[in-house]
Amino acid sequence: MSYTTTVNDPAHHDHTPTGWRRWLLSTNHKDIGTLYLLFALAMLFMGGASAMLIRAELFQPGIQLLDPDLYNNLVTNHALLMIFGAVMPAAAGLANWMIPLMIGAPDMALPRMNNLSFWILPAAGTMLILSFVVPFFPGGGTQINTGWTLYPPLSVQVGMSMDFLIFAIHLLGISSVLASINIIVTLLNMRAPGMTIMKMPIFCWTWLVTAFLLILVVPVLAGGVTMLLFDRHFGTSFFDAAGGGDPVLFQHLFWFFGHPEVYVLLLPSIGVLSHVIPTFARKPLFGYKSMVGAMIAVGTIGMVVWAHHQYTIGMSLGAVTYFMVGTIIISIPVGLMIFNFIATMWRGAMTFETPMLFAVAIILMFTFGGLSGVMLAVVPADMQYHDSMFVVAHFHYVLMPGAVFGLFAGVFYWLPKWTGHMYDERLAKIFFWINVIGFNLTFFPQHFLGLAGMPRRIIDYNVMFTEFNAISSIGAMIFGFSHLLFLYIIIKTIRGGEPATSRVWEGAKGLEWEVASPPPFHTWESPPKIGKEVA
Amino acid sequence: MNRQQDDLKRRNIRLALLFGGFALLVFATSFPFWQNIFKVLGSATR
Repeated sequence: MSYTTTVNDPAHHDHTPTGWRRWLLSTNHKDIGTLYLLFALAMLFMGGASAMLIRAELFQPGIQLLDPDLYNNLVTNHALLMIFGAVMPAAAGLANWMIPLMIGAPDMALPRMNNLSFWILPAAGTMLILSFVVPFFPGGGTQINTGWTLYPPLSVQVGMSMDFLIFAIHLLGISSVLASINIIVTLLNMRAPGMTIMKMPIFCWTWLVTAFLLILVVPVLAGGVTMLLFDRHFGTSFFDAAGGGDPVLFQHLFWFFGHPEVYVLLLPSIGVLSHVIPTFARKPLFGYKSMVGAMIAVGTIGMVVWAHHQYTIGMSLGAVTYFMVGTIIISIPVGLMIFNFIATMWRGAMTFETPMLFAVAIILMFTFGGLSGVMLAVVPADMQYHDSMFVVAHFHYVLMPGAVFGLFAGVFYWLPKWTGHMYDERLAKIFFWINVIGFNLTFFPQHFLGLAGMPRRIIDYNVMFTEFNAISSIGAMIFGFSHLLFLYIIIKTIRGGEPATSRVWEGAKGLEWEVASPPPFHTWESPPKIGKEVA
Repeated sequence: MNRQQDDLKRRNIRLALLFGGFALLVFATSFPFWQNIFKVLGSATR
């Protein structure tokens, strides 16, 4: 949705701080957005390296490079780095950069808290990496072989590295909640005059729902890991059956956070698509109100279906039926969003620049991941698929296109705005194709592996699974190394290139395109007045 | 800073505190944490 403005940015008194103070003490939403994005990029490479080690080990049956504990430590580390280190901070980076520009606000509502939200992250990231590294030192205890779900009793028995991880999760949670509060307050209080909540750009709407989800579920995870900490060190038995506790309680607490977390990762990327597709189809977004309704429905229903991750623990028939039906119902609002994207493209004057290529790929592959999700939601079927490579294939088809490709689309879409230079379109398209082919080569065969019975989280496998695993590992290497090209394109764009206009894309609409590329250090010091709606 | 900006700053902080308090409430009440603490304390005194 886009608007005309009657007052543009005055862009006066543009004093930019210099040196380390600019970054360490920054209260500027653009600088903090850049910091978030750089942090996420670093974590993406670390998480990617751990994934490539996992796939290198799985290239052949038998144990070649790693030992079972290290393998599972890498599995744990990969998930946590990607979810908490890469995707969430990258989405927060886009939010920091774009939300104030999109709503005509001079900055985030609480700029100092914004600084704090970011600078907690490197400390949390350090703790996360230490949790991986500590067991390699004398007296460092055992490795975290639990996977990211940290289920007790195993997580109670793991060495001191688990304490580092619990501390990291607390820090990451505090950072997320502070950032979410800031985003909600900014969106509710800082919109330009005339921008009613139902005129807000969809990216802002997706972040509003995401921020509410985070505030509702992150404290529950914090509670769960606090109880775990108590069980480990203070003699409590929250999750210890011998002491009257119940390990299944942790599973409920974890997945009450874990399932909405999927939507936390997905929604900001859906927001990006809601801008990319109308821009390159040169048509307004189809069904603005239904998009808003759908994402609220996804957020709401997504909060009450967590136990579909735990069908095999033995719940009552009534409970599993409820969680199965609830889960399948989510496909209705998600399907509505996909329908709206396709309807936006329908008879549009489409061009396929890199962000649009990613958008089309997302629609195809995310839908595919959603369909395997419906299969997993069905209780008797899930009893067969549970803890198999089919689940790994499913959630990577949901999260890579749904979250990461959406972020790539957002980066390519807004990179000219941020840097003032056009990126190399030819290289970006090469990156897209290598990336998408590598992704499908990696994860498509894993469906067959899972259906044939290969379990996940186990270092070795039966020789009957060799061929598909070899294909998957070759795909993973192509996929992993393709990100070096992504890094190169970004560095090249920052260093120079064809100057970008303020609008950048012919079909782009919205306040963010009214300011120069790159935007001055201070923007919208005088709020724009929103004219009549163009869309 | 003019009065309008002061007022906006106050409203921002008020709303942030409200959500911060809400997050703490979720942290404290969404699981049987305190109940079990009391159970543990109770058994420790016996």
